[in-house]
Amino acid sequence: MKNHIIAASALLITAGGVFADDSKAEFERLFTLRVKPLLSEKCFGCHGGDLHKKPKGSFDLTTRSRFLKGGSEFSNALVPGSSAQSYVMKMIKWEDEDYEMPPKKNDRLNEEQIADFARWIDAGAPWPSEERQKEIHLAEQSKKRTKDGVMVTTSGGLADEWTFRRYQPEDIWAFQPVKKPRVKSQMNPIDALVRSKLSKAGFKPAPKADARTLIRRATYDLTGLPPTPNQVYKFHQAYQKDPDQAWSDLIDRLLASRHYGERWAQHWLDVARYADTGGYSNDYERSNMWRYRDYVIRAFNSDKPYNQFIIEQLAGDELADASLNKRIKDWNKFQSARQNGKQYNDKESQLLVASSFLRMGPWDPAMVKKPQARQIYLDDVVNAVGQTFMSTTMRCLKCHDHKFDPLPTRDYYRVYAAFEPTQLAERPVPFAKHENLERFEEGKAMTERLWKFASAKEQELIDKREATARKWYKENNREYKTQAQRKSDPDDEKPPRHAGLDYIEQGRLKVRAQDEWIWNRRKERYQPYVQTVYNGPVPGGLNARRLRMNAKANNKWRPDSRILTGGALEAPGDQVTPGVLSALAVPVEGAPKNDPYQIGDKLNGRRLALARWIADERNPLTTRSIVNRVWQYHFGKAIAGNPNNFGVKGSKPTHPRVLDYLAADFVENGWTIKRLHKLIMTSMTYQQSGKHPDMEKLLNEDPKNNLFAYFPSRRLSAEEIRDGMLKITGELNTKGGGVPIKPEMNMEVALQPRMIQFSIAPAYTPSRTPDERNRRSIYAYRVRGLANPFLETFNRPNPNDSCEERDAASVSPQAFTLLNSDVTTARSIAFALRVEKDADNLTDQIKRVFHLAFTRHPSAQESSRMAAYVKEMRTYHKKVKPERKTYPTKITRSLVEEFSGKPFEYEEILPVFENYIPDKQAADVGPNTRAMADLCLLLFNSHEFMYLY
Amino acid sequence: MGSVALTGVMAKEAAKAAGPLAPQKPMLPARAKNVIMLFMEGGPGHMDTFDPKPKLNELHKTESKSTKSLASGFKFFVGSPFKFDRVGQSGIEMCDQWKFLRDPDVADELCNYRGCQAESLNHPEALFHMNTGSRLGADPAIGAWATYGLGTVNQDLPGYMVMTELAMPQGGSRNWSNGFLPAHYQGTRLRPEGTPILDINSQSYKSRDHQRMALDALNFLNAKHSAKHPEHKDLAARMESYELAYRMQMEVPGVIDLQGEPEHIREMYGMNEKDTAAFGKQCLMARRMIEKGVRFVQIFSGGWDSHDYLERGHSSRIKSVDKPVAALIKDLKQRGMLKDTLVIWTGEFGRTPDNNRRGGVYSLGRGHNADAMSMLLAGGGVKAGSIVGATDEIGSEAVDVKHPIRDFHVTLLHLLGLDDNKLTYFHAGRYKQLSQFGGKVITELLA
Repeated sequence: MKNHIIAASALLITAGGVFADDSKAEFERLFTLRVKPLLSEKCFGCHGGDLHKKPKGSFDLTTRSRFLKGGSEFSNALVPGSSAQSYVMKMIKWEDEDYEMPPKKNDRLNEEQIADFARWIDAGAPWPSEERQKEIHLAEQSKKRTKDGVMVTTSGGLADEWTFRRYQPEDIWAFQPVKKPRVKSQMNPIDALVRSKLSKAGFKPAPKADARTLIRRATYDLTGLPPTPNQVYKFHQAYQKDPDQAWSDLIDRLLASRHYGERWAQHWLDVARYADTGGYSNDYERSNMWRYRDYVIRAFNSDKPYNQFIIEQLAGDELADASLNKRIKDWNKFQSARQNGKQYNDKESQLLVASSFLRMGPWDPAMVKKPQARQIYLDDVVNAVGQTFMSTTMRCLKCHDHKFDPLPTRDYYRVYAAFEPTQLAERPVPFAKHENLERFEEGKAMTERLWKFASAKEQELIDKREATARKWYKENNREYKTQAQRKSDPDDEKPPRHAGLDYIEQGRLKVRAQDEWIWNRRKERYQPYVQTVYNGPVPGGLNARRLRMNAKANNKWRPDSRILTGGALEAPGDQVTPGVLSALAVPVEGAPKNDPYQIGDKLNGRRLALARWIADERNPLTTRSIVNRVWQYHFGKAIAGNPNNFGVKGSKPTHPRVLDYLAADFVENGWTIKRLHKLIMTSMTYQQSGKHPDMEKLLNEDPKNNLFAYFPSRRLSAEEIRDGMLKITGELNTKGGGVPIKPEMNMEVALQPRMIQFSIAPAYTPSRTPDERNRRSIYAYRVRGLANPFLETFNRPNPNDSCEERDAASVSPQAFTLLNSDVTTARSIAFALRVEKDADNLTDQIKRVFHLAFTRHPSAQESSRMAAYVKEMRTYHKKVKPERKTYPTKITRSLVEEFSGKPFEYEEILPVFENYIPDKQAADVGPNTRAMADLCLLLFNSHEFMYLY
Repeated sequence: MGSVALTGVMAKEAAKAAGPLAPQKPMLPARAKNVIMLFMEGGPGHMDTFDPKPKLNELHKTESKSTKSLASGFKFFVGSPFKFDRVGQSGIEMCDQWKFLRDPDVADELCNYRGCQAESLNHPEALFHMNTGSRLGADPAIGAWATYGLGTVNQDLPGYMVMTELAMPQGGSRNWSNGFLPAHYQGTRLRPEGTPILDINSQSYKSRDHQRMALDALNFLNAKHSAKHPEHKDLAARMESYELAYRMQMEVPGVIDLQGEPEHIREMYGMNEKDTAAFGKQCLMARRMIEKGVRFVQIFSGGWDSHDYLERGHSSRIKSVDKPVAALIKDLKQRGMLKDTLVIWTGEFGRTPDNNRRGGVYSLGRGHNADAMSMLLAGGGVKAGSIVGATDEIGSEAVDVKHPIRDFHVTLLHLLGLDDNKLTYFHAGRYKQLSQFGGKVITELLA
C-alpha cells in the first residue's frame, strides 16, 4: 500500500480565498465545462458513477468530498491548491506505472486536458453546486463558438452533455461545407497548392520522372497492367517531340481502354466487399453476383457520373420499379410483372443489378433468431453505407452517441429506419444485351452433371432407408408413411430415424443432400436472377440459401422504427422517423420545416431519398470521400489518411485545400471520375520522380512523405502481380465480364476439405481451358471461405471487411509462392516459350525477357550475369527429368460423422479434369526451355517487377 | 520507476530495430512465456466433460421450457450419459471417459474454469470471438497479439503456428489472421498432410543447390536495383524475407519430423493408436515448437458439435484427445517447461442442458449454449488443481466468477506479461486492443 499522506487541510482552507470573485467564476466554468465532463467520461465508469458498483480502490470521484477522501491507497489524491502535491496528477500523467489512469490508451488524457486539471486544482478545486453548473451550461449553450470550440447542431444526443459539447473546428473538418480555395497561379491547381505547402516547409519539388517510369506508372495505375515494349517505345518517341502532348494522349488512351474499368472497379469492390458467396458457416453461393461486378466495371468505363452511381447502388430497385410501374399502371399486373421480372427493360435491369450493393456484406441467418438476423443485416448495411460513400464509420453510434464525432445515436436509427423495409432476394431480372453470357451451355452442363451425381447418390440412400421403413411398417401392421408424413408421429409409431443405414451411410446421406442443394443452387447462376433487394415486410422465414421476393406482401406495412437503447433489441426506446445525418446541415429535399433531416416514411422511396441526400452536391462527406479515394489510388497514399473514417479520430488531411479544391471542382464538372484522373495525372505532383535531391533531409523531417515532395513508390497489388505476369507471358485473355472464371490455384488448397455446416464444400476446380483460366483476376470466383492462396499471400483483403488501404508487408510466404508454386512456375514456362519464339539466340532472348518484364534493356553486366545463369541452369536441367503433374477426376473425402463421432469416407467427382487442358508444364519442355524459365521466374521475383516508382 | 519504464521503452525500440519479430520484454512480470491452445471446435458439452449435473439425470427426457437455444418447438432435458468422479489430490471432477487426464500427475495440474460466457450461438462467429476477440472475423487473433507484444525467440520459424485437421475449422484462416496488425504476426498453418507450409518446397525437379543458385542470381538483380533506390526502405526487408524463407525450409522439417522422438514418447502421445494418432502427433509437434522458441501454438480438433447421439459423439472425441493432452502436460512437466507454458483446452461455447426433437424423434444431444462452458488451463501461472467458477444446477448458465470472453483474453495476456490496455495498435482512427473495449483480469485463475 502506498502512503503519501500530506497535511492538506491547511491548504484547503486558504485555497478558497486566494482568488477574486471573477476568477472564481472562471474556475467554476473551468470545472463545469472541462473538468467535470472529463471526470464523467473517463473516470466515473469505475470510480463511483454506478450506484450498484463498488468504486475501484474505494476511490469515488463523484463529489468533491469523496474525491478529497481519496481511496484505499491514497489520501492525497486531491490537494486543493497544489497540483504538484495532488497524486491524481501523477496518475493522469501516467507517471506511476501501477496507477496509469485512465488505464486505456484510447482514453488517455491529452496535454491540454492534463493542464486543465492542474489549473483547476491550483485554483483550489472549486466544485460548484448542481444548480450553478446548470446555470453555467445554459449560459454556455447560447454561444455557438467559444474558446472551447464550436457547437454543432444535431438532432440531439441521448444526454444534454453530448448535445451541447464543443469541438475543435479542425477536428470536425470533414463535416464542414467544402470551400473551394482560390488558386491564382497558372499552374495546375494541385501543383499550386502542394508546392505552396512544400516551399513553406523549405523543400523544392522532385524533378520530373523519366518517360519510361511515367508510362509504367500510368499504365499500371489506370489499367492494372504493364505497358508493352512497343507502347513504351512509341511513347518515348512522342515524348521526345512534345512531352505534354504525349502524356495527355497517353492518359486519354488508357482511360479509353476497357481495362481501365477492370482496374478501378477493383478498388470499388475492395471497399464494397465483393464476393460470390455469402460467408459464415454455410458460405452459400450468391450465384449471380457477377452481374454487379460487371455493372461496376461498366460504370467506370462509361464514366457514369458518381452521384448517379451512388443513387443506383442504394436505390436502383426503387427506381426500376417506379419505372416499370409507369408502364404498367394496374397494381395487380404490376405486382406480377415485378414477381416474374420479364418485363424489365435493359435500363431497369441494370438498376436492379446496381442495388446488389446492398447485398455485399457477409450475412447468413442460420442459427440466429430472426430479429437478430435482421439487426445484423441492418447494422451492417448502415455502417457499409456510411463507410463507403461518406467515409464515416457508423458502427460507433449503434449503442451510444458518437464519442468523438457530432453524430448522435438518433441519426443512426434514422438511417437504419431508411433501410428497415429493405428485404433481400434473388429476383428474376432479364440479362441485358451488354452482359456476357458466353460459355453458359458448357457451365450449365457441368453443373447439371454434378447435381445429377449428388441426387442419384442421395436417392440410393433414401431408397435403402425407406425399404427398411416399409418393412418396419409391415411388421408392425401399419400403413407405410413417407419420412415427411411420419415426422411428427410418436417414436414408437414409426421406424427409427436412420432405419437401415449404418453410420457411414448416415454420414453420406447428409453430405449428398447438401451437395444436391449446392449444385441445384449453382444452376441458378445461368438463370436471369439478380442478388438484390425489394421493399416489404420481413418475410416469414429467413434462409440465405433461398431468398425470394413476395411482391404481393402487405404494402401498407410500416416498420416500428425506434432507437435501440445500447444497441439492444430488447430495449426499444424513442420512436424515430427515417432521416439523415443532421450534423452536416444539409437538408433533405421536401422535408418538413421543423425537421429538415427527415425523409418520408412510406414503404418505398426511403432509400432513394437517402441516396439523393448522400449524392447532394452540398454533402461534404460524400464529395471529399470520393476524391480522397481517387487520390489515394493514384499515389498509394490518401490526403486524409483514413479513407473509411473522416471522423475526429481519423487522420487529418495533409492537404485540406487540395481536397476541397478537388471536391468542388469534381461537382462543378459533373461528378466525372475520368476528368478527375486527368486533372490529377497532368499535375507535376503526379509526374514527379520518386527520387528527390534532398532525400536524406526529407526522410528525416517528413518520413511519411506527407508533403508529397516526391512520388511514393508502391508494391504491385495481388491482382496486378497475377495479371501483369499473364500479360508479360502473353497468356492473358482480355475477354471481359460474365460468370466467374476459376484460375488454377495451389492444388492442395483447391482440393483440401473445407467445412461448411454439416458437410464439406465441393472442391475448387479450375476452369477447363487455359483461355478461360487466364483472364483477369477481377473475374475470378471469389469465395469468402476459400481465399485464392496466391492473391491472399499478396494481401488481397478479406472481403468480410471494407478495405480502405491494402497492406504490402514483405513476408516469407510471398517468397515461397513466387519461387516455388505451380502457378508461377507455369507462368515462367509460358514466358520462356514466348521469348524462345520471339528470339533465336540467348543474348536476344535475355534482351527480350528484360523488355517484356522491365520495359528496358539489360545492362551489359546484367546480360552477361544472366546468360551465365541460364547456362548454369541448362547444365542442371540436362540432368533432371521433371515428373508430369496429374489431375484427379475423383477424390475420396473423409469426414467425422456427427452422430457417432466416427470418420467415414465418400467419393467426390471432379469431372472438369476428365478433358482438362493444363498449362504447359516442366515435363512438356526441354532443358533449355526450363533453364530460360528459371531466368523468367527470377524476373518475376525481382524488386523491379514488384515495385512501381 | 520512471527509469524502469524508460528502459522498457528503449529495449522495445532496440528490439524493433532488429525486426518485427525480435523478442521483446514483457510489460509486466510474466508468468507464462508460451501458449499452447487446444481448440475443441464445435463446442464440447461442459456437463459431459468436466462439470457434472446430476439434476439433469433426474430431469432426463422431461419437458424443458428454456428459450435459450435457437431451436423452437418441444424441448426436453438430456442427462449426461457419463458418470463423474473426483480425481487426484485436488479432487477435480471429470467424466469417466477421461482415462488419462485423471492421472493425478496430470489432473492436479489442471484448473477447470466454469465461468466463461461466449456471446454467439453460431459456430463461426463464436470461433472468431474466442480466437480474435471480435465476432466479425476480421481482427487479429490472440496469437497475433501475443507475437506482436512479445516477438518470438526463434527467428527461423514463425512466432505463431497453427495446426488443424485436414478440414479447416469454420471461418478458416480468419481464426488465426493478423487482422489489421502487420502481416508478420499472422498464424502460419502447418498443414496436417501434404506440404506443411504452402509452397515451402521447391518444385520436385529443383534441388536445394538449384535454389541457392537462383537466390544468388536474384540477389544480383535485386542488389543492383536496391543500389539505384537507396530511398526505398522496404527493399531490404523484402530481401530478408527471401533469406528467412530459405532458412525456414531447413528448420520446418526439423519440427515436424518426429522420427527422432523415442518410442516411449510416441507411445505416450498416442501416436501408435488409430484414434489418437493425428492429435497426438500435433501435440508432440506443439511441444517441439515451444522448445524451439515458437511463442504461440494452436491446435484445432473438430467434431464436438453433438446435437445428436451425444454419447457416441463425445466419447469418441474425448478418446481422441484424452491421451495426447495428458501426455502433453506430463511431457512439458518432466522437461520443466510447464511452468513457462500455458496450456489451454477450450471450445467456442458450451452446450445446452436440453435438446429439441430432431428428425421427429427424441434425439439425445445438445444445442449451442453461449452462457456456459468449461475450459481447462494448465501451467503458465494458473492455479493448479482447482475448479474456478460455477454454472447453475442444470448447466444452463454460468453463475459464479462469471466473465465474458474478453476478460479471459485479458487474463491470458496478463499471464504472458502483457497489459491488454497497453497492447494496442493504432488502426482506423483508434487504438485497438484484443478485448476491443478493455476487460478485467480473472484473478481467481491466477496461481
